[in-house]
Amino acid sequence: MQTEICRLLGIRYPVFQGGMAWIADGRLAAAVSEGGGLGIIAAGNAPASYVEEQIHFARKRTEKPFGLNVMLRSPFADEVADLAAREGVRVVTTGAGNPAAFMDRWRRAGCAVIPVVASVAMAKLMERAGAAAVIAEGCESGGHVGETTTMALVPQVCDAVRLPVIAAGGIADGRGFAAALMLGAQGIQMGTRFLCAGECTIHPVYREKILRATDRSTIVTGRRNGHPVRSLRTAFSRRYEEAEYRGASETELDVLGTGALRLAVQEGDLESGCFLSGQIAGLVKRVQPAAEIVEEVTREAEQCLKGTSRWVR
Amino acid sequence: MLLDKIAELISERTGCGAGAVRMDSTFKDLNIDSLDRVDLLMDLEDYTGVQIELSEKVETVGDLIRIIEEKKKDAGKGEETENAN
Repeated sequence: MQTEICRLLGIRYPVFQGGMAWIADGRLAAAVSEGGGLGIIAAGNAPASYVEEQIHFARKRTEKPFGLNVMLRSPFADEVADLAAREGVRVVTTGAGNPAAFMDRWRRAGCAVIPVVASVAMAKLMERAGAAAVIAEGCESGGHVGETTTMALVPQVCDAVRLPVIAAGGIADGRGFAAALMLGAQGIQMGTRFLCAGECTIHPVYREKILRATDRSTIVTGRRNGHPVRSLRTAFSRRYEEAEYRGASETELDVLGTGALRLAVQEGDLESGCFLSGQIAGLVKRVQPAAEIVEEVTREAEQCLKGTSRWVR
Repeated sequence: MLLDKIAELISERTGCGAGAVRMDSTFKDLNIDSLDRVDLLMDLEDYTGVQIELSEKVETVGDLIRIIEEKKKDAGKGEETENAN
């Protein structure tokens, strides 16, 4: 399986690993890239010094290209953006905002900028700003979400821009991968599936929650303050939802949410941690090496695509 | 004029009455989220022919109109300079 994006980025398979904050470190990213996909280190809210360590760690583990996800709302976004340029990271993906202000800096440094978008207008804006591709992420995904599903978003983005489109949200196996290609995408990005990669260092409680998840295990909170987030249903999400419904102040909601991601990832704290997950978690049933995941979903997608001809005379 | 167009676009997108869109209306009051803002800007670019930068500082409809008017003025000056040369 080779698409245009593979040639553009120098990767074997068009499979990206989502830049999950507090989770996607140099170890996971290197393992995915070694497996032929595109591993992505998440900067999250971390300072540049931490991100630099992760980049150097990944470089020790692989000579293959990997990416860096810059969270634009981070207080360290500016210094992380500089770091990406200085280190000449092959791919920069962005989330939570508009990266236009950093685009020139990254492009001059030879980084391929691939923003995550949740709408057609945002995809068009990113094309105009000089993006190399876009990741169209539907609301099935974990973490910050838009309103449109992957099924509806991807073909509309593909029609609106001339860039390669990577589909994300609700994809965890070769069937989703093949479907994404049918919608016009040139590749996929998966987050939740990689939560159960052997190289992913989340707390065992988090991993167990994903492995036991079903189709209805996630919920979106935060719509009221304009930052909707999909996570697993836990005591924390129930408390947050209750607070939203009873009209808690924004300050109270902020206090509830502050540090919740770290508590989930590092402490496995079901009472106060926010366990981000996509709707597809119910499909994730075992822990596997990242390279095996990349290989498996690609082989499955190839089988699906070859098999579709049986429906057509 | 521009306010009418913005009111029409916002009304179309959110279902609020066009009369609810005033110069001092904030996007938050109008339930315009960050993705709606990008949609609105792209539509306004098509309508006005000027490129509008996305900024968190643009909080009200009035702010947006001021930015577009300034851009239009700048674009006009550019054309005049070109013609003079």
